Amino acid sequence: MSDLATYSAQFERFANALTAAERAPRSVQFSRFLASGFPDKHVEDWRYSDLSALNEHNYEPDVAAADHLPEALLADADALVYVNGRLLGEPKHGQWHSDTSELPPPATGVDALNAAFASGGLRLRMDRGTVLDKPLQVLFVSRAEAQATMSHQRHLIELGDDAQAKVLLDFAGDGGERLATHFFDVRLGRNAKLTLYRVQNEAAGGTLVTRIDTRLSRDAKFEAVTIDLGGGFTRHDLDVSLAESGAETTIAGLYAQAKGSHIDNHVRAVHAAPHCTSRMNYRGLVDEKTKAVFNGKVVVQPGAQKTDSEQRIANLLLSRKAEVNAKPDLEIYADDVKCAHGATVGQLDEIALAYLRSRGIDKDTARAMLLRAFALQILDRIEWPALRARIEAALHLPAELSLDTDA
Amino acid sequence: MLEITNLHARVEEKEILKGLNLSIRPGEVHAIMGPNGAGKSTLSNVIAGREGYEVTDGTIAFEGRDLLALDPEIRACEGIFLGFQYPVEIPGVSNMTLLKAAINARRKHAGETEIPPNDFLAWVRDRAKLVKIDPKMLSRGVNEGFSGGEKKRNEILQMLVLQPRLMILDETDSGLDIDALKIVSDGINALRGPERATVLVTHYQRLLDYVQPDFVHVLARGRIVRSGGPELAKELEEKGYGWLEAA
Ligand SMILES: Nc1ncnc2c1ncn2[C@@H]1O[C@H](COP(=O)(O)OP(=O)(O)OP(=O)(O)O)[C@@H](O)[C@H]1O
Ligand SMILES: [Mg+2]
Repeated sequence: MSDLATYSAQFERFANALTAAERAPRSVQFSRFLASGFPDKHVEDWRYSDLSALNEHNYEPDVAAADHLPEALLADADALVYVNGRLLGEPKHGQWHSDTSELPPPATGVDALNAAFASGGLRLRMDRGTVLDKPLQVLFVSRAEAQATMSHQRHLIELGDDAQAKVLLDFAGDGGERLATHFFDVRLGRNAKLTLYRVQNEAAGGTLVTRIDTRLSRDAKFEAVTIDLGGGFTRHDLDVSLAESGAETTIAGLYAQAKGSHIDNHVRAVHAAPHCTSRMNYRGLVDEKTKAVFNGKVVVQPGAQKTDSEQRIANLLLSRKAEVNAKPDLEIYADDVKCAHGATVGQLDEIALAYLRSRGIDKDTARAMLLRAFALQILDRIEWPALRARIEAALHLPAELSLDTDA
Repeated sequence: MLEITNLHARVEEKEILKGLNLSIRPGEVHAIMGPNGAGKSTLSNVIAGREGYEVTDGTIAFEGRDLLALDPEIRACEGIFLGFQYPVEIPGVSNMTLLKAAINARRKHAGETEIPPNDFLAWVRDRAKLVKIDPKMLSRGVNEGFSGGEKKRNEILQMLVLQPRLMILDETDSGLDIDALKIVSDGINALRGPERATVLVTHYQRLLDYVQPDFVHVLARGRIVRSGGPELAKELEEKGYGWLEAA
């Protein structure tokens, strides 16, 4: 194993600029990182996403001041923009950004690295009974710089009882050689409702690691839609803990593999209390000589009776060389539960393709129509027209047309 | 309009069409009958350009051009329409999306602009009425959850919407109730005209009572073994194919 010398040198320089009080907890995290290193293929959960290639890299902690405003902002949302981990301008609502980072214990070496170098990030705290009047778009832009850079951010979303919010975590990047890690600590109070979109549409080249840990109190609702369109090396962990009874989560996702990209999604719903519901629905479009990884896991802990969970995974292989590792996983330690799961891997329906072509539609358009049809179940979950339109455009899918019978 | 000469075609190494000749002029209606497995659907698919069929010999000319050199979508844009014996279901692609994409593909091929949305809706709605398809069904996936008869009427709707010049209808009359058969026949007759030609692949005289053919052919063992007028269909109805197979 490598001695992670470049990281040590970078950390030393980084830590020197901190006060002793700031430095101490970070040093602890950094030694954890040194002890465990980047997760590699010997760690079961990281089997297909070996990060040990990063051992020899030298990433500068990014200190360049962010400047230009990207154009990807959605008109009907409030926005917070980070470029290479730095907040751009003053947020409209000052309370949305925090420079101090709380540090829950890290799960892996990469989490420890994140905690050691962590800079501030989104801090959305909503009081009891409040509703965010507009969706919040948090845009994370990764931009190439003269040398390889890294940024590590920690974020907090906390909804009080009965509070409601809609948040978009939007990852865009030009494919520059960068390592970006993000940790999201999400807590939902009783009967709170969070709709969370996580969209990744970066150019191939960089490395992106995200972890979203979500805890739901009684009757809370968490609706998540995750979209990955190509990108570089990406690994996403989404953990949902249904901690009190009556909590509900719906997690849907689409990953569309592209040349040079590696997309690994690990999604986990933990039923820790009775009478909770979880729905997981993931679809993958896997193309080129790449591999997509999806690991969906439902855990029903002892005592979580009347659990109602369902997990569906479907993959479409677009070429013979495409490969997918999609695994639904179920661990049940309670007896009065309803758990369904299934995974399929298929190819484009050649007969449907021939039918469309026989009506005059060229092969590429026909193909796009069928891909869209496959992705539709997930796209339909995006209840934000501007966002949905942007994603469909990025997927190069023709728009659907419905017959207005009254027209 | 369509000139098929000495056509040999195979499917998965098996020779199905063995030197077939057929000549169709504008304005004509040809019925093709013949025993199961004779190659009628194979012939229809080869004309439409479906992949998976290998033409080993012979030619097909459509309005003087070599049809075999064209991709299936180009053939469709040039005015060839195949009504499938077994129309497929395509969940997630609505009937309207299919129709609009098909119309615009054709217009693009002809160097025209896209159809204005209102014209499109009106055009489809009027034709849906003709074949008694509830417009609401059209926002569903292509043929999704349609009954057998509805699928066949939907093929006719597509045909009416696209206004092809050569219509090949592969057993569009099979599995239809009496009323649906009338609707389908009316649809076919609505497009009959001096510029258009029709090929009806059928097993039943019934359809031919509604859509009068000019010629009736018997396809057996990979060739047209007998051609005649409408009276040939009646003869077949009485005698079956045995006497021709023996000949
Ligand atoms: N994809 C295929 N693979 C193998 N054999 C095929 C395939 N398609 C057709 N055949 C064979 O080719 C022969 C002709 O089939 P075709 O469908 O053209 O017959 P048909 O005249 O339309 O019959 P029917 O009246 O039953 O519709 C049959 O023996 C059939 O089994
Ligand atoms: Mg047939």
